[in-house]
This record gives sequence, structure tokens and C-alpha cells, in this order.
Amino acid sequence: MEKLTYNSAKKELEAIVLAIESGEMDVDLLTDKVKHASQLIAFCKEKLTRTEKELQKILDDIV
Amino acid sequence: MSEKSLSLTELNYRVRDAIRDHLPETYWLRAETSDVRPNRNGHCYLEFIEKDPAGQSIVAKARGVIWSGVFQMLSAYFEKETGQPFTSGLNVLVRVSVDFHELYGYSLTVADIDPSFTLGGIARQRQLVLKQLEEEGVLTLNKELTLPEPSNRIAVISSPTAAGYEDFRDQLLKNKPGLVFYTRLFPAVMQGERSEASIIAALEKIFHYRDLFDAVAIIRGGGATSDLSCFDSYGVAVHVAQFPLPVVSGIGHERDITVLDMVAHTRAKTPTAVAEFFINDTWKTFSDLIALQDRVVSASETIAMKEENLLFSLSKEVIHQSMRLLQKETAGMQQIMETMRHALKRHLLQQYHLMENREQFVRMISPGNVLRRGYTLTLKDGKIITSLQDLGVDDIIETRFRDGTSFSRVTGLHSSDNPPEKKQA
Repeated sequence: MEKLTYNSAKKELEAIVLAIESGEMDVDLLTDKVKHASQLIAFCKEKLTRTEKELQKILDDIV
Repeated sequence: MSEKSLSLTELNYRVRDAIRDHLPETYWLRAETSDVRPNRNGHCYLEFIEKDPAGQSIVAKARGVIWSGVFQMLSAYFEKETGQPFTSGLNVLVRVSVDFHELYGYSLTVADIDPSFTLGGIARQRQLVLKQLEEEGVLTLNKELTLPEPSNRIAVISSPTAAGYEDFRDQLLKNKPGLVFYTRLFPAVMQGERSEASIIAALEKIFHYRDLFDAVAIIRGGGATSDLSCFDSYGVAVHVAQFPLPVVSGIGHERDITVLDMVAHTRAKTPTAVAEFFINDTWKTFSDLIALQDRVVSASETIAMKEENLLFSLSKEVIHQSMRLLQKETAGMQQIMETMRHALKRHLLQQYHLMENREQFVRMISPGNVLRRGYTLTLKDGKIITSLQDLGVDDIIETRFRDGTSFSRVTGLHSSDNPPEKKQA
């Protein structure tokens, strides 16, 4: 699987939202989709609110 | 040596007198300031220079001085009007008197200054740079970039010791919503002659690491003196304009907008304002995310509710239909029962009538009734006698009437075929 980025996660999230909002979604799929959407949201939120020490270290290590 | 010789002092006196005689007035002088040095006594020493039209080499030069009383007044006035201190590298229009001192030589004493000339010069210079950038098609390139989502990895160009840099970091890292930011300082000299090359070098270094950053902040502030010329320079502007990451400027200059501000993706007034800009931008990114989350929740709730309603009406239908079926069956059963009851009743009634008839008949033929109608029963020894054969003369017989019993003695027997002779009365 490709590495998840904020942008790819958000795009996927938007697609899920539109699919759910269209009202065409199979109810059996709904639970899985909502679960996946909340995982994507959690991933994006984390990008915005949790410091990645590794990333700051990379920036600090620029000489 | 026939000619009369002069001492240096004598010659310098003559020069001084000649200058005083021939240049007695004050003159409005256009020149560039250089090496401006206010000293402890409040006097300001400087150089006036003139460059060739290409701006490369100095073609004229003169020492200058502004005495402390004048300097205090003029520098405040100049700064108030132009928004920047009286420093080196400025094109100025000053009123000077020409002096010559036998020991210190030629110098110009400043009596007045016209700040509007400097302002006009700066503005003209800015226009020239902007025009050149436009002709080269790069003027709006940085503005056309889209700020990535999120923009929280920021390369900072600043003097490492500037208070503005501290303000920027404080503001950014202690933001209220608790958003995460990554910063990396690329130190640069932010004023003076070396600043242009220094800023460009910092930009080039960031360019090398551009994949690690979302945006660049060029900030300055808190310094005592402010020479903005590097932010109006073509060199800095052309690099910023073409930079692949959005550049946000915050060079702490309230009054006018430098070329850097014009070409940058976003212009903020101060380093703190730059931090605010990034916080607001990331907060918007965060809010967009929350909005998406709300949409997921409400859209899936809508679906769930719709399905629930559908199920509810289906179950209602099931109940309704089965009730109807039951009612129909019950009605059928009731009808059958009704029919049966009627039939039974009729049947019972018939039986009842029949029984009644029979009872009547039985009553009619009961001995009591028969006796009442005038018939009697004849018994001998408690047994009913139905035939003459059972009797003999002198037998005692019992005759039962409706209301009692008589006992008689048989005196004669006559069969029905042989009736007794009628006794003659």
C-alpha cells in the first residue's frame, strides 16, 4: 500500500463523504466506509496536532 | 627658485578663501549617503557619493557632517516622513554649505533635508524593479502558488538574534488550538550591504531542501535601525518571485510596502502576524477536516435513519397485513359459528317440539288420563286383567277408577261372542 499522506487521505475522505451523501451507498458497505472515514480523519487530525519528533529532527539536522 | 613659495597652511587658507568667495551660498545637493556614523557627541559624519548610471562605480565623493543640533531635528523629521531612519545607501536631497578646513580639508555641512526626494526615489526604484519583474513574467509567480494543506513545515529566514524571530516562534509554537508546527531557521543578515546576498543564499539553501517544507517565512523586526533597501532589491525579489514554495513576508514595516512584500505569496506586517497567518491557515485546514467529519456523521445518520424508517414501515406492513388476514379468518369463523348456532337452535327447537308432542301423547295415553275419560282398570291379585280368560266366578276383582278403587265379586262370565241375556226390567 502506498504511504498515506495528508492530501491522499483527505481526497479519499472527500470521496467517501460524497458517496455517502449521494444516498446510493449500500447499507452493508456503510459501516465499513464510515469506519475507514474515521480512520482517515484520525490520521489527518494527528498530522495537525501531534508533533512528529522524527520530522523536527530531520529539519534540525540540515547543515 | 624665482617664484614665491607658500606653506601648506598658506595654500589651504587660499583654497578656503576661494571656496568661501566663490561658493558662498547653500546648495540643494542630490547624492547617496554612505558610511553614516553618528558619534557620541551627537554629531553625524558621513560620505556623500555619486555612482555612474549603471550603479557600479563611484564617480564622485565628498565628506559630510551634520552637527548634533541639526542632526537631532533632521533625523527625526526624516524618519517620520519616510518611515525609515537616516542611514547609508539612501538617495537624499540635502541643503549643504561647502566648507574647507586647512587641516581636515573639503567637506559639506548639512543644514536641511527634503525627505520627499528620498521617498520619491525609493518609490521610483520600486516601480523600476516591479516593471522589470513584470516584463520577465515572474512578478506574480509566487502569488499564484497554492499554499499546501497543511502548511506547518516552515523554513524561516531571519537574523537568529532578532526579537522578531523569537516572537514568531513563540506565537507559532504556543498557538491556542494546539496545532503542530515545524520550523527551521536559515540565518541571514537582514540589514546593511550584505543582506541581499545573505537572503539569496538562504533562499538557495531552502531550495535545496524544498521537499521538507511547505512554506518560507522571511521575517525581520525588533532591530534598532532599519534599512529596507535589500527588500526593494531586484535580486531578492526575483528569487522570491520564482521560489517554488509560497513565501510569506513579515519585515516589520508598517508604513509602506516593499518589493519583497509585493512579490511574496502573502504579506504580513510583523513576524507575529506571519505566525498568525500560518496558525489561521492550519486552523482552517483543521476546520475543513471537522466539517468533513460532521458530514460523514450526518450523512451516515441520514442513511441509517432512512433504513430504520423503511424497516419500521415494512414491519408495520407485516403487522397490518397479518392483522387483516386474521380478521378475515376470524370473520369467516364467526360466520360459520353463527350458521352452526342457527342450525343447532333450529334442530333443538324441532326436537323440543317433537318431544312436546310426544309428551302430550304420552300424557294422553297415561292411565290417569285414560281413567279420567271413563275407562277403568281391572286387577286381580294386584295384576291387571286384560282377558276374560284370566277370571273365574267368585273371583274378587279390583276396579280402579280415576278417584279410587272398588272391590267386587265376579258373578258371571260372558265372552263377547256370547252375551248374557238381557235381564228384563
